[in-house]
Amino acid sequence: MHSVLRMTQVTKTYGSGDAAVHALDHVDFNVEAGEVVVVMGPSGAGKTTFLTIAGALLTPTSGSVEISGVNLTALSERELPDVRRERIGFVFQSFNLLEALTAIENVTLVMTDGGAKSRGAVNRARELMIMLGLGHRLKSLPKNLSGGEKQRVAIARALANNPDLILADEPTANLDSKRGREVMQLLRQIAFEMHKAVIIVSHDHRTREIASRIAWLEDGTFRPDVSTDRDPVCQRVVEVQGSPAFSYDSRSYYFCSTQCLDLFKADPSRHLAVRRE
Amino acid sequence: MLLVARKNLFSERTRLAISVGGVALSVFLISLLLSLYRGWDEKVGGFVEKSNVDLWLGSEGAEDFLTAASLLPTEGKEADQAKEYLEGYPSIDQWSPLIVRLMQGVRVEKTSPAEEKVGSKIDLHFIGFDPTTRLGGPIKVIEGKDTPGPGEVIIDDKLSDRYGFAIGDTLRAGGRDWKVVGKSTGGDFVATQTVFVTHAEAQAALRMKGATTFYVIKVRERVDPAQLGAALEEQAARNEAPIVTHTREEFARSTRDRVTSNVLPILFVVLGLAFIVGVSVAGLTIYTATIEKSREYGILKAVGFRNTYLYRVVFEQSAATALLGFVVGIGFTLAVGPFASDYVPQFVLFTRWQDVLLVAGVTVVMALIAAYIPVRRLGAIDPVSVFKG
Repeated sequence: MHSVLRMTQVTKTYGSGDAAVHALDHVDFNVEAGEVVVVMGPSGAGKTTFLTIAGALLTPTSGSVEISGVNLTALSERELPDVRRERIGFVFQSFNLLEALTAIENVTLVMTDGGAKSRGAVNRARELMIMLGLGHRLKSLPKNLSGGEKQRVAIARALANNPDLILADEPTANLDSKRGREVMQLLRQIAFEMHKAVIIVSHDHRTREIASRIAWLEDGTFRPDVSTDRDPVCQRVVEVQGSPAFSYDSRSYYFCSTQCLDLFKADPSRHLAVRRE
Repeated sequence: MLLVARKNLFSERTRLAISVGGVALSVFLISLLLSLYRGWDEKVGGFVEKSNVDLWLGSEGAEDFLTAASLLPTEGKEADQAKEYLEGYPSIDQWSPLIVRLMQGVRVEKTSPAEEKVGSKIDLHFIGFDPTTRLGGPIKVIEGKDTPGPGEVIIDDKLSDRYGFAIGDTLRAGGRDWKVVGKSTGGDFVATQTVFVTHAEAQAALRMKGATTFYVIKVRERVDPAQLGAALEEQAARNEAPIVTHTREEFARSTRDRVTSNVLPILFVVLGLAFIVGVSVAGLTIYTATIEKSREYGILKAVGFRNTYLYRVVFEQSAATALLGFVVGIGFTLAVGPFASDYVPQFVLFTRWQDVLLVAGVTVVMALIAAYIPVRRLGAIDPVSVFKG
C-alpha cells in the first residue's frame, strides 16, 4: 500500500503572542490507499483545521503535507485549487450540492472545468450515479432528493475526478440511522474496492464500524492511547479516561457530561433500548 | 455561457424578470431620451436645412430662426441701398425679403353666420415669403394650392394633424382670419409649426409695412455662401448699417443650439438617473443573488474552482441580464417610436443606429458595474466556511 496523505510535524497556530492558539500542534499523520480512518475528538479539538489542511484549503503554520507524493506546502496559493480538483474528493455534512443544477450536472461540473459538458464527463457521471444507485435520479434537482440521495450525489461528485483521497466531514450528521449506515458502507466500499484513502471526521459512533482505525484528536494532537466509548444518551463518542462514568448491569458506561449521566441514571433501560436499535 | 451562470440565472425567473426589467427600463429611458433628442434636433433644424435659402441676412443680434429678433427695412434710403448692393452682386442668384414671426393663432369654425367656435391656442411660426422667388417658403406642398393668395394660408401638415385643420378651414392669426388653401411638409419645429402667407400679406397683417425680418439669398452655383456673407457684412459695416449673415448650416446649427442648449443639461441629468436606475436594479439583484449563493460559491472554491471562474459566473450572469434588458428596452423604444407622436405630438422620436450602438455600450458598462461589487464579495468568500454545518 502507498501513502496517500502524509502530514509531518504540522502545526497550525491562530493569533500570536499570548493570544496564540495551536489548533494543530506538531501533528504526524499518515493514511494509505484502501484505508478508512475515522478522526474523532471533542469539539474544539482541531478536527476542522485538520480536515481543511488535509484538503489543501488551509496552509499550515509549519510542517509539511503531502498528497500522493505532492508536497502541498511547496505549492503556491494559485496551485492549490488544481490539487483539490484532481487529488481530493470532498463529502460535506450538509451535502453542499448546487441547488440550480441537476444531480448529474452537479457531478459533471467538477470534471468539465465548469464549461461545456463533454461526452466523457457525462458518461462517467452517469456511471458513478448508477453505481451509487442513483440511475433514476440523474435529472432531479437537489431539492427533490432525499438526504441519503443527496449525500450519494455528493459522493459521486467527490469520486468524479478519480481522486486518491476522500475527505468526509460528518457525512452522516444530517441522515437518519438507516441512510447514515448506507453512506458509511458506501465510503467503506470506496476505500476497499476503489482503493482510495478515506478520512472521516465524525462524532457518530457508528462510523467506528467501518473504520480501519480511529484517530483521536484532542488539543491539536493525535493521542494514540485513547480508549473511547459511546455515550448511551447522546450517542457521541467519548474518551473513557476522565469522562463521567456509571456502572449498570455489570457494565461501565461513559458520558460526555453529567447531564447525560443524570438522564441515564433516571431511566437506564430506555437509553439502552435505543442503543440496541 | 457557463453552466452554473446559466442555471443560476434562469432557475429564479422572478429575480431574472426584475433584473431584466430594471435594465430594460433603463435602456428604454436612455434610448427614448436619445431618440427624443435626435427627433427634436432633426425637426428643429430641419426647416432651415431643407429650405432653398443659402444665406440668411438679418439685423445685428439675429442668431437663429426661432427667436428671429431681426428687423430690416424694405423701403426707404437704407432699403434702396441694400437692394442696390444685392442686385449688384453677380454671385447672388435670387434674393427676397422674408418675414418670420412667432405668434399664437386659433382654429375658427363658423357654426352659423353669426356664431363661431374658437379652438385652443396654437403656437405658430408665421412666415411671409415672396411667391416669386419662393425663398424661405414651404418646403414641399402636398395638398392644395402651392401659393397662397390674399387672405390665404398654407399650413404645415403636422399642424393640420394636431389641430384637425382641413383645406377650407379658417386660421385666425395676426388679427386676421386666413383661409387654409394648402398643406406643406418640413415645417414642424415640434413646439411650433410653420404657416405661410405672402410677404405682402404678412407685412399688412403684422403692421410691418416697409420692414422685414430677413433678407434670404440663393447663390449661384459654385459660390461659397460664407464668403458672400462676409463680403456683405463688410460692406454693411462700412455704411454703418450692421447686419449679420448666416449660411444655411450655421443658421440650422444655431437654431438647434437654441433648443438643445436648454434641453441638454436636463437630458444629461435624466440620462444619468436612468443609468443609475439600471445599474442599481441589476446590481442589487445580482448582488443579492450572489450573497444568497455565497455558500455555493464557497463549495465551488472548496472543490477546486478558482476565483476567476467564479468572477466569470457573475459577469456572465450580469452580461446576460444586460443583454436581455437591452433587447427588451431597445425593442420597446423602436416599437413605440413610430407611434409616439400620434398620441403626444411633441414626442418626436428618431432612433439612429449609432445611438443604438451607444446604448449598447452603456449597457455593457452597466453590466460591468453591476457585477463589480458582487465580484469583490466573491473574492472574500472563504471555502473553509462550507465545513461549518
